[in-house]
Formats: sequence, C-alpha cells, structure tokens
Amino acid sequence: MSDVWFVIAGYGVILGGLAGYAIALARRLARARQASLRIRGEAESATTADLGE
Amino acid sequence: MKTRILGFTALVAVAAATVNGLFIVPADLNQGDAQRIMYVHVASAWLAYLSFGVTAMAGIGYLVRRDLRLDAVALAGAEVGVMLTAFAIWGGMMWGRPVWGVFWQWEDPRLTTTALLLALYAGYLLFRRLTDDPHRRAARAAVVGLIAAIDIPIVHFSVIWWRGLHQGPTIGDPSKILNPSAPPLFVLALMSMLAAFTLVWGYLMVRRYQLARTEWEIEEHGRLGRISAARRSFTTESMAEESAP
Repeated sequence: MSDVWFVIAGYGVILGGLAGYAIALARRLARARQASLRIRGEAESATTADLGE
Repeated sequence: MKTRILGFTALVAVAAATVNGLFIVPADLNQGDAQRIMYVHVASAWLAYLSFGVTAMAGIGYLVRRDLRLDAVALAGAEVGVMLTAFAIWGGMMWGRPVWGVFWQWEDPRLTTTALLLALYAGYLLFRRLTDDPHRRAARAAVVGLIAAIDIPIVHFSVIWWRGLHQGPTIGDPSKILNPSAPPLFVLALMSMLAAFTLVWGYLMVRRYQLARTEWEIEEHGRLGRISAARRSFTTESMAEESAP
C-alpha cells in the first residue's frame, strides 16, 4: 500500500471518532436517565410533602 | 431495543464497507491507495449536509409548531453534523497531502466554505448554551440554524461557481449519475460506505435525540423542584409570621 499512513490516519480518526462518539453518547444518555429517575423521585416525594401540608 | 438493533446493523455494515474499501476494491491508477480515503471522506461530507439540513428543517418546524421535540431533533442534527464535518475535513486533508501535495489551502472555496460551515454550527451549539429557557433557546437556535444553513448550498456549489484546488462533482452532478467519471467498482464501494454511514448516522441521531429529551426532562423537573421548594419555603414563612405574637 502506498501512502499507507495517510489511509490509516484517515480511517482511524473517522471510524475511531464515530465509535468514540457513540460510546460517549451512550454513557451520557445512561447518566442522564439515572439523573432523570432520581430527580423524578425527588419531585414526587416533594409533591407528596406539599399535599401533606 | 430497535435502536440497539440499528446500532448493531450499522456496526456490521461499516465493518463490511471498510474491509471492501481497504482490501477488496483495487487502488486507483493515478491516486494510489490514498483514493480509498474518499469513501469515508465523501460519506462524512454528504451526511454532514443531511444533518445540517435536518437541523434547518427541524428549526422551521419548531418555529411553526413550538414543539420542543423538534428542537431536540435540530440539536441532534447540529451536533452529529459538526462531528461529521470535522471528519470530512480530516479525511480531505489526509487525501490532499499525498494527492495535492498540501493538507490545506485557504484559497480553495470548497475548503474555506466547509471550514466556515464547521465554525457556524459549532457556534450554533455554543449559542444554545446562552439561555436556560427551553422555548427561548429553541426559537433563537432555530433562527441561527437557518442562517447557518445558507452556507450548505454555497459549500456544495463552490466547486462549480469558483475555480479552486478541489475537483468538481464526480457522481453528484445530475449529468453524471448514469455515467459517473469514476469506475463502477469505486462508485459501488462509495455507495456501500455511504449506506453504512447512513445507518450509523441514524443510530447517532436517535441516541442524541433521546439524550436531548432526557436532559430537557431533567431541566423541567429541576425547575418544578425549585418552584415546589419556593412554595414550601413561602408556606413555612407565612405560618411563622401568623404564629408570631
């Protein structure tokens, strides 16, 4: 292969970047879903407290 | 579950298209192996156009219907599009050095307008951080997204309108669709990579949309929580004042 390092750099960065972004997105989504569940729970308990008052 | 299936299909498709593009399709007679970079470079560039087109359309949709789900679609398009534009530029640079002899040339209209496109949509993403109000943010972002979208046709037609280092359309030109100037094997490899990247694009768009919706829910719950806490605090203070002698 001629220009092999350019080909490796081209494919490596693009495919690696796509994979990295997909993994980062999955992690961010999992964290956000956990946070959403926690906050929803807190909001529900606060609403119950409000109704109790 | 459907998104996971899409992700898995996209992974298999990209692996197959990469093996085809790197090891099965022959090297170009003039450009050598550097031409193989075109498969990922062109696929990234086309899907970047699509992403920003989606952002612009979703922005118009938001301005008409005031539905925050459309703003989430616009955000997903912009973020995925910025990444793909960066990849298209990178792929172009890796191809340009062995074929043109330079990584970059500012005098070239296609290169410069693409860099501008990247800057515009990176700016769009930063602009979204300026306000916390979801509807105000969505409306302002929709306008910025539409203004930035003006650069999409300029990037595309820059190779036709102005003279530069970047070559004209190889298969995108309507007159060349049935008779492309590239050999059928190369066109097939490019189309395979484009199909595989489209699956990846679909997967990333869905995931980014889901993330935007979840983040919006968190913001909304946070806001409701603050209102509820303020109400509780107000009630407690009122009761304390009433019971005071």
